[in-house]
Amino acid sequence: MNTATPEFAVAADDAWIQSSCSLCYGSCSILAHRVDGVVVKIEGNPDSVVGKGKLCGKGVAGIMTHYDPNRLTKPLRRTNPKKGLGEDPGWKEISWDEALGEIADVLRKVRQDDPRKLVVQRTTTVTAGRTPFQTFAAAFGTPNFSVSGGGQHCGNGAHLISGIMHASWSVVPDFAYCNYAIYFGASKGHAAGHASCSNMGLAADARARGMKMVVVDPMANFAGAKATEWVPLRVGTDAALALSMAHVIVNELDMVDGPYLQARTNCPYLIGPDKRYVRDPESKKPLVWDTVANAARPFSEVAAADMALEGEFFANGFQCEPAFAKLKAHLLKFTPEWAESISTVPAKNIRRLAKEFATEARIGSTIMVDGVTLPYRPVAAVAFRGNQGHMNSTYNFFAVDLLNQLVGAADVVGSCMGFNPASKGFPETGRPHYVPTPDADGLMVTGMWMGYHYPYPPSEPRLPKNLGLQDLFVMGMTSPFLNSIDQEELWQTFEVPYRPEVLMNFGSNLMMAIGNSEVVAKSLERYKFIFSFDLFLTETSQFADIVLPDASYLQSTDSRSNFPFIFSLPGGMGEWCWPIRQEVVPLDGEQRRFAEVLLELADRVGMRADLNAAYNASMNLQAPYRLEGDHAYTYPEICDLELKGNFGPQRGLEWFKEHGLIKWKKQPEEVYWRPFVDVRVPVYWEFMVSMWEKINAICEPRGVNIPQEYYDPLPDFLPCRSHQCQKPGFDFYAFYYRDTIHTNSFTMENPWLDEAAELDPFSYYVAIHAEVGKKKGLRDGQSVWVESESGRKVKGRIRLTQAVHPEGLGIAACAGHWGKGMPVAKGKGVFFNELLELDFAHVSPNNLNLDLCVKVRVTPVEA
Amino acid sequence: MRYGMVIDLKRCIGCYGCQLSCKAENGTPPGVFFARVLKQEEGTYPTVNMLFLPVLCNHCEDPACVDACPTGASFIWEDGIVDIDPDKCVGCRSCMMACPYGNRYINDKPQHYYAQGQTAFERLRTGRHQTEVVMKCNFCRDRVKAGEDPACVANCPTSARIFGDLEDSSSIVSRLIKERAGFTLHPEMATRPCVYYLPT
Repeated sequence: MNTATPEFAVAADDAWIQSSCSLCYGSCSILAHRVDGVVVKIEGNPDSVVGKGKLCGKGVAGIMTHYDPNRLTKPLRRTNPKKGLGEDPGWKEISWDEALGEIADVLRKVRQDDPRKLVVQRTTTVTAGRTPFQTFAAAFGTPNFSVSGGGQHCGNGAHLISGIMHASWSVVPDFAYCNYAIYFGASKGHAAGHASCSNMGLAADARARGMKMVVVDPMANFAGAKATEWVPLRVGTDAALALSMAHVIVNELDMVDGPYLQARTNCPYLIGPDKRYVRDPESKKPLVWDTVANAARPFSEVAAADMALEGEFFANGFQCEPAFAKLKAHLLKFTPEWAESISTVPAKNIRRLAKEFATEARIGSTIMVDGVTLPYRPVAAVAFRGNQGHMNSTYNFFAVDLLNQLVGAADVVGSCMGFNPASKGFPETGRPHYVPTPDADGLMVTGMWMGYHYPYPPSEPRLPKNLGLQDLFVMGMTSPFLNSIDQEELWQTFEVPYRPEVLMNFGSNLMMAIGNSEVVAKSLERYKFIFSFDLFLTETSQFADIVLPDASYLQSTDSRSNFPFIFSLPGGMGEWCWPIRQEVVPLDGEQRRFAEVLLELADRVGMRADLNAAYNASMNLQAPYRLEGDHAYTYPEICDLELKGNFGPQRGLEWFKEHGLIKWKKQPEEVYWRPFVDVRVPVYWEFMVSMWEKINAICEPRGVNIPQEYYDPLPDFLPCRSHQCQKPGFDFYAFYYRDTIHTNSFTMENPWLDEAAELDPFSYYVAIHAEVGKKKGLRDGQSVWVESESGRKVKGRIRLTQAVHPEGLGIAACAGHWGKGMPVAKGKGVFFNELLELDFAHVSPNNLNLDLCVKVRVTPVEA
Repeated sequence: MRYGMVIDLKRCIGCYGCQLSCKAENGTPPGVFFARVLKQEEGTYPTVNMLFLPVLCNHCEDPACVDACPTGASFIWEDGIVDIDPDKCVGCRSCMMACPYGNRYINDKPQHYYAQGQTAFERLRTGRHQTEVVMKCNFCRDRVKAGEDPACVANCPTSARIFGDLEDSSSIVSRLIKERAGFTLHPEMATRPCVYYLPT
């Protein structure tokens, strides 16, 4: 009868504790049920906006990750000095004092020598890890920090361009009002990630309400499975389809939102023959053509409605045209017939989709939300990892967002919107307060950001001082060059004056998260010293000198488990919500919490004053809640100060432990900030012109070719390397996708999730089109080798399916563990990244995104 | 009073939240799923539909399992929930063979997930299940008696699962079945399932 055990009712300890999940970076709010010191259930916290009281399969399975007997409980030191694939580190248990003493000695020396020699690497999975590790890096004095967990592929295009165009880390359809959403390689509302559970509910409500969902994807598994229309395409050709739709909207249908383009974009700015703005000689402001005065005038002096979008003019000594005219002419080449030849999507479908999108946009319409009349554009074109994990990362994402911009469907009701780009703050304190602001050219600068560098305005490219070369390739964020085969060659070429010596790793499994293991292993072998905070011994911690046993999320406290709002709070109306994480159960053995270990390390290194100052900056702590001098605050004390600073002196950590979270009502002027903030977004990326010149001026003399077509102000279709592969027999485009029950590589150790993945028809298989497979004599379930052009290969089992493009070969990401430290995960699924080369030739020369697709051949494994 | 469930296939996104929240709620051993998610392809490329089909005990009005049970261990509560009394079950598996849906499992021996043995969670939650008996979903009857929804319903991120009284024509489940042409699996087996599905 599955009766509840009666002793629960009389147990001395029986508590439901409000905290935050950490099985993925969605960090949904949870209620953990503890009975006699044991966590017996994790549920969503219905009081919270983050997850809306629900959890995905991963979230409810978190108990098993917490209680995994393979978790580390004591610090370990390697005894085998030799590092390499297959080398046994010869772990020896040591005390924390010994471990931190040795680490502090190393850190002290390297900081004295050159702090940039420290690389700080962290996983994306634990959102709460961002502030402590970035703050430590800043205080230490190293610019070399990196985010792993698929980071190479995940976000350089999506995150930066969402920042440039929507002042947020990512974009979603405004689910509550959107009527027509087109997804390009995105899974918003259908899998893990940003605001994942909240978006699942919102997207389901939208579909139930009748929102049409078109999913452009080589595979119909998660989002594709729920599509009203699945649009399979050749892997990596999203830009061709999106640009062709833009061409149809502009040149065949003429269905653009003129007033929006005039008032909220740089479409009216006059462009000269050098592709740059024509500027006012005195004020240096970009000029527009004033159709009333019939003269070129600075944009800030002309009513938007009077700005010309088309026509040829003579201004300031130059023949010039508005940016929109340039765009219109540029799009002419992207005919649906051309796009069909590139993407395989039939031309008639491209025309139909473009027409549906433009028609459903209801250009010119308004709607009232909470008593405020707002522009209403109930269409959204959204993209994410699959779209922009390619050489053409920048343009693949930019081209999709162009569709929104053309019809004015950007950050207004029903449209494509950033997550929470404007906040007036908690009513009692006005914190956190941020809003997009204009730069001197009137273009939008985001009010809140998360890492690396602001998306716009771009930094000045310079001879790089960062190991990832992001200060040269300024569109780049996460860089492959911390682990690439050609890193030394690149550092020499660009005269980087130092080399990495120490790696501080938090939970990331670089060996599996980036590219082929051989090359990543070499990059790790080069470090003089690696220490790693881990739950388990991973394939990466095998390269460490010291491994530190981390606390699980159920054993940790953090004041910002889900901050900032642009990262993982659901978009749209509703409530702002600031949840915390708190300990549900105590530490086991000698496990310690990473945030507290970092504080002790700072003390041992003698950098506490610098760390306090860095926390004041990273948490925006203001008097009287600033950290003072070199006082040795505990992490809960820092959390307490942050919470009091944001929510008033009566709402410190103790208040939050009791209440779990605080929330307050969103206002339409915040959510639909677009009409209230006088900023423009760049539809014409003028900044790319000088960016290329500056980058090229550094690269060309050093023999590095930077193709100019990657830096054109208007988006284009540029093929992946896989598209150029002509090798006979290599006829599949292999790609990977995120499985809904797995996050990066770490959840594969969870036996409940592993069991679900074993039952799933795809999670641990190689998916190919049934007819194509049969023609090759392949059977369902057959063991095969998947081999790249350069001879790297992985083994997997075939799944014949109708739900994949005939040229595609789909593999769930980050599977195929081989280490002994995660025995449940070992040998499960297919290690896709093994197929990926990791060098300059395989990354976008614009934003450093590693190309995720690779041309492969499939051959049976001999019996 | 007859408890039943409606599963909206339009809303379900195959996140496995039901399968795993059930596991967490009931502490079922490896290989036992009171709730599962099946995936099934329909159609041919490019007009293909991937169906996510969550399944569980159908709590049939005329359950073949109850008829097949030689000891009276399988029975129907007055609220319609089909249940098993483990004290009466002898683990003969007749009910498993009779169930047309394959939603009954034998808990034939003590099991745990990690090679090292039971976790603290499993000691408390899995350990309370008797072995050498058949087990299955009972709509989280203890939760239901306490006024809560079954765990899979309460947790569903897309609100695809709705629980209620099928005999009350004004209940949400009854209305959804009527308004959206709810259907049951394998009606030809004539067991009169109380789990309904709404079409995609």
